[in-house]
Amino acid sequence: MSFKLSWRLVTRLLVAAVFLLPLIWMLTAALHPQGRPLPTTLTFSLDLTLANFGRVLELVPMGRYTLNSLLVVLLAVPLTLLTSSWAGFGMAQLPKASQRRWIVLSLAVLMVPGVALWSTRFFIYAWLGWYNTILALIAPAFMGTSPFFVLMFYRAFRRIPVAIYEAARLEGAGVLTSWRQIGLPIARPTAVGVALLSFVLYWSDFISPLLYLRSQSRYTLPIALQLLQQLTPSQWSLLMAGAVLATIIPVALFLLLQPYFARIGS
Amino acid sequence: MRKPLWRPLSYHQRLRLLLLPYLSGILLLLVLPALLAFGLAFFRYDGLSSPTWLGTLNFIFVTTDELFLLSVQNSLALVILPVPLRVFGAFLLAVLLRRNGRFLGWFRAAVYLPSIVPTAAYALAWLWILNPIYGPVNLLLQAVGLAQPGWFADSQWAKPGLVLLSLWQIGEGFLVCLAALQDIPPAVEEAALVDGANRPQRFFYLTLPLMAPILLLLAFRDAVVTLQESFTTIFLTTGGGPYYATFTLPMLIYEQGFGLLLFGAASAALWVLYALTGLIVLALYGIARQWQIGTTEETFVL
Repeated sequence: MSFKLSWRLVTRLLVAAVFLLPLIWMLTAALHPQGRPLPTTLTFSLDLTLANFGRVLELVPMGRYTLNSLLVVLLAVPLTLLTSSWAGFGMAQLPKASQRRWIVLSLAVLMVPGVALWSTRFFIYAWLGWYNTILALIAPAFMGTSPFFVLMFYRAFRRIPVAIYEAARLEGAGVLTSWRQIGLPIARPTAVGVALLSFVLYWSDFISPLLYLRSQSRYTLPIALQLLQQLTPSQWSLLMAGAVLATIIPVALFLLLQPYFARIGS
Repeated sequence: MRKPLWRPLSYHQRLRLLLLPYLSGILLLLVLPALLAFGLAFFRYDGLSSPTWLGTLNFIFVTTDELFLLSVQNSLALVILPVPLRVFGAFLLAVLLRRNGRFLGWFRAAVYLPSIVPTAAYALAWLWILNPIYGPVNLLLQAVGLAQPGWFADSQWAKPGLVLLSLWQIGEGFLVCLAALQDIPPAVEEAALVDGANRPQRFFYLTLPLMAPILLLLAFRDAVVTLQESFTTIFLTTGGGPYYATFTLPMLIYEQGFGLLLFGAASAALWVLYALTGLIVLALYGIARQWQIGTTEETFVL
């Protein structure tokens, strides 16, 4: 028995190592002094430096772009949670036939290629006066970002028996009250999941700033990385330092939320 | 008696009000731009002067372009190769990390972590990892005496390179599989255990069939997402090259639209992309029908 268990542990360790390898390579290259042969896989040099990060900050105003990225997610993620959980809550209590119509609509909309929206959203943003503003980056958050998130909330809220909603209604609770007091506590794991997924989505969004922003001062981190790549196309230590700078915040957030993940299925 | 001007809304009207942001967002940010895009396919439009009617000329122009056929082939290859690997990989990982044990949460976190990395940073990292001369992967291959591919510098190896890097970002499918495994009633497995089914038997006759609908749903989503979202990665790693080996339909649409300001031609290519997405979904649905998995409404719709 114990032999079998340890085999499982070994397999798990190997899998984890394989999945962490790209990140480790990224980090070691970022810490490697410039102008020396880069570390090979098998030899690890302990001659590490933080100088690359300073050099990156000189080349590209990463601080400014980090603040821009933070502003985007600070606006977009709470807004996404609000609108997608509202929509999911509303859907879960509609009559069965309307529920099905909403599901079909959501799935149909999920199939629309993102590419289809690039150019014409540009015209719509220009018409609304949103072009070259942060609104163009967070616009999808007004509709819950993705029908996928709405369906996730719908699924969570549907687990609550209708009788509970009815009882709350008879006691005079309004829609928003029962959303806050009955719905949200049950849907907390879903909310954590949606928050994380939408955070990653907005944080790594490369297309929207590329197409809908003109002023350099409003760029976000993904565009900063592209600028860095254009400035120093083969300085791998610098490029990896930039990549690490753009990755630190989501990784930190993820490690904070990690206990929620451990609980899935156990 | 006069009717009151304002009547308090009923509970159900208020419920529908909660759906209003969602619905108006869908109309303004998805339906309207999608319709406009499909409509533009019949016009010449450069984003500056007003559109002029072209009829089906854009379609003829786009489909007779040499690059068009190539981009369709590339797009298909870059869906057919990675999607089964990604979905099945996510499933296997979920089975491996299903039950408790020491450090379970940390193992799961390790598998999910690459999916957290922003696409642009991830693409840059792999540009370095797969660098033909200095990259760690080729140095590793050299150390064990294997041939070292040129990866993104070699038109034969650029596609496998893109497939390889996509295999590390499967966090979403992994989580969905974990959650779905949780939904398998423990009683079913206990019954199988009592009947003396061994581990592989339980996997092939119990877990796999029960998970099939979820895997299919994941494959749908992954095919659609991969077809479109691989744009950023390709844009930043190979730029469609070398020799157009990774030039996909989204790349073609971007170049026609934002590169050459031929928004009409870009929209015509978009029709093709949409048809292609539809075909992939239909094919998967056909397979599902054949095997009779996940085709009842309840299991299919989440």
